[in-house]
Amino acid sequence: MTDPLKQYLDLYRAEHSRIAAGSCPAMNAHRDAALRQLEAHGLPTRRTEEYKYTAVRDALAPDYGLNIARLPLAADPHKLYHCSLPNIGARTCYIINDTVGPVPTAGSEDAIRVVPFAKADEEMRGFIGKYYHSTVQSYDALASLNTLLAQEGLLVLIPKGHRAVQPLQLVCFADAKADLMANRRLLVVAEEGAEATLLICEHASSSAHYLTTQVTELVLGERARVELCSVEETGSNCTRFHNIYADLAAGAALKLNSVTLTCGHSRQTTEVRLAAPEASVEANGAVTAAAEEHADHNILVRHDAGDCRSTLRYKYVLDGNATGAFAGKVYVAPGAQRSHSEQTNANLCVSPTAHAFSQPMLEIYADDVKCNHGSTVGKLDETALFYMRQRGIPEAEARLLLQHAFVNDVLRHIQPESLRQRLSLLVEKRFRGELRRCDGCRMYGGTATNAPTPPEP
Amino acid sequence: MLEIRNLCAEVEGKPILRGIDLTIRDGEVHVLMGPNGSGKSTLCHVLVGNPKYAVTGGSATFNGKDLLALPPEHRSYEGLFMSFQTPTEIPGVSMTNFLRAAVNARRKYRGEEPLGASEFLQLLREKRKLVGLDAHFMSRGVNEGFSGGERKRNEIFQMAVLAPTFSILDETDSGLDVDALRTVAEGFNALRTPRTSAMVVTHYQRMLDYLRPDFVHVLMEGRIVRSGDASLGYAIEERGFDWIRDEAATAQPEPQP
Repeated sequence: MTDPLKQYLDLYRAEHSRIAAGSCPAMNAHRDAALRQLEAHGLPTRRTEEYKYTAVRDALAPDYGLNIARLPLAADPHKLYHCSLPNIGARTCYIINDTVGPVPTAGSEDAIRVVPFAKADEEMRGFIGKYYHSTVQSYDALASLNTLLAQEGLLVLIPKGHRAVQPLQLVCFADAKADLMANRRLLVVAEEGAEATLLICEHASSSAHYLTTQVTELVLGERARVELCSVEETGSNCTRFHNIYADLAAGAALKLNSVTLTCGHSRQTTEVRLAAPEASVEANGAVTAAAEEHADHNILVRHDAGDCRSTLRYKYVLDGNATGAFAGKVYVAPGAQRSHSEQTNANLCVSPTAHAFSQPMLEIYADDVKCNHGSTVGKLDETALFYMRQRGIPEAEARLLLQHAFVNDVLRHIQPESLRQRLSLLVEKRFRGELRRCDGCRMYGGTATNAPTPPEP
Repeated sequence: MLEIRNLCAEVEGKPILRGIDLTIRDGEVHVLMGPNGSGKSTLCHVLVGNPKYAVTGGSATFNGKDLLALPPEHRSYEGLFMSFQTPTEIPGVSMTNFLRAAVNARRKYRGEEPLGASEFLQLLREKRKLVGLDAHFMSRGVNEGFSGGERKRNEIFQMAVLAPTFSILDETDSGLDVDALRTVAEGFNALRTPRTSAMVVTHYQRMLDYLRPDFVHVLMEGRIVRSGDASLGYAIEERGFDWIRDEAATAQPEPQP
């Protein structure tokens, strides 16, 4: 078998001028380095520790098309698409495949800037260049592939001291007639003392196979507070790699919520650097996977300075032949005293053929720290099930209530309350089998073909 | 109401019930007593259909229906309720959601519409008073962080909400202080009607005082070895089980090898 990476590198070598032409200088500046890294290190194999449970080579093997020529969007996504998820009065932006849709103007009281990279590069000379790719500390093949091929990006800038009143929702949607690769890039800069809530919704149509890579970079200045909630609701025709990188200055607080309702083959790599004292990160992950779904979370939190805090809570409910993988590592650098870290991963295997892989890790080079980690893999509580059935709750409903309660234990940490309630409802619908992909989305109207075409050889 | 004939059951391959015969009619309260391990709890669990227990012989007929053929939830709809010896904790499933699911499943079985939100809350309010269970328990997970006494009160509260015709109380009195025992027993008595019956497992005379049972049965090694009225219960309180064991041994000698 030829190296699946080859087709992407060949494509870049052949098309690099067209790729560069459709992009901004700040992005182009990093492509050659990404190419050299990919040439040197290649794709991870199943023997690569960080990718033990996600077969990257198989995922990248099919022949996907790319929108290198930057064909514009056929229609206004605001008119086509309605995401029913938030109900939180959010300001909504769209990324269709890898094209940033029209950005709605903010209310007069909202100073958050949401600007495509190209425009930002013109208006704020040097700004994108200053932050773009600045948080990516170590080699990751998917991040490098994204850096090599991504042509558009979106900047979210929360200016110094600004407290956003309205959450910002970013709807990422894959929709094409033929199999497609989309490479998305998001840069969030929260300046000193800024506060904002962001919601990323990941959806896809069922008309083709999709491979999406996304790199989300978060740069939090001193005492900035950002809550980023990422919700995945895709299908078996989707392979998704999402890399999140975050750098936190002193006193900054980041909350990363990740909810996988449905997916195909999904991998999220998260690296958070607590670079200065009193920074804190809270990562909450909830996965509900069934059938052949695959959800893999790999998270690294670096306590590079003392007096920082990290909390990791991940819960998976796995049914059918689903696979859930979790690897969490908390690294405490030499001298990062008084670090405080808690890490838990709990898995509920509802069916005997579901698989859970759990690997919580601590790597500590300081002596005055308080760090703990724990992991469980279990089945539904038979005693509780019987208790509920004795009271007249049908077995299927009892199982549902237990699974829902298990996931709600993570969801309860999500804000705002209206979003938490909505997510809880969607999780319930998911367990009831009532969740249609992109519930309420007009784009799906009458095109509910759940039989995706096989990938091109 | 309930006819048990030669009922035999085992747990993990170990025979526990070795032929139970018992008839319970409308309005009757029967008390089961017996030494530890004699099969009292097993009989309770077998009647409500706990899948951990395997029936190996005999029959149980409830209002003319073959009870043993029904899944646990259908036995519940038919009117069976069991107050558990150690009520299970179900973290994250609130009492309100739990009971709403139970009440509405029952109504659906009977072809009735689900209870409206205000009617349901009114029902909970009314029944909570019966056992003195505070409102804040309703938003907590089922038995989550409840004390031993609160759990037992919660069992009787659930019984009140579900209004069964046949209740099984498996040592509902154990671990209760005198006040809590009175509350639980009075709650139970308030729910009694000429058409409801109960089977109560207890070790204590105090429970007999409150319940005034129609019959007392003594279980030993998986069989009912003696039946009588409430006075049998008081005799056991005074003299223990040994005299019954001795009499039973004389009446039914073990086969010699």
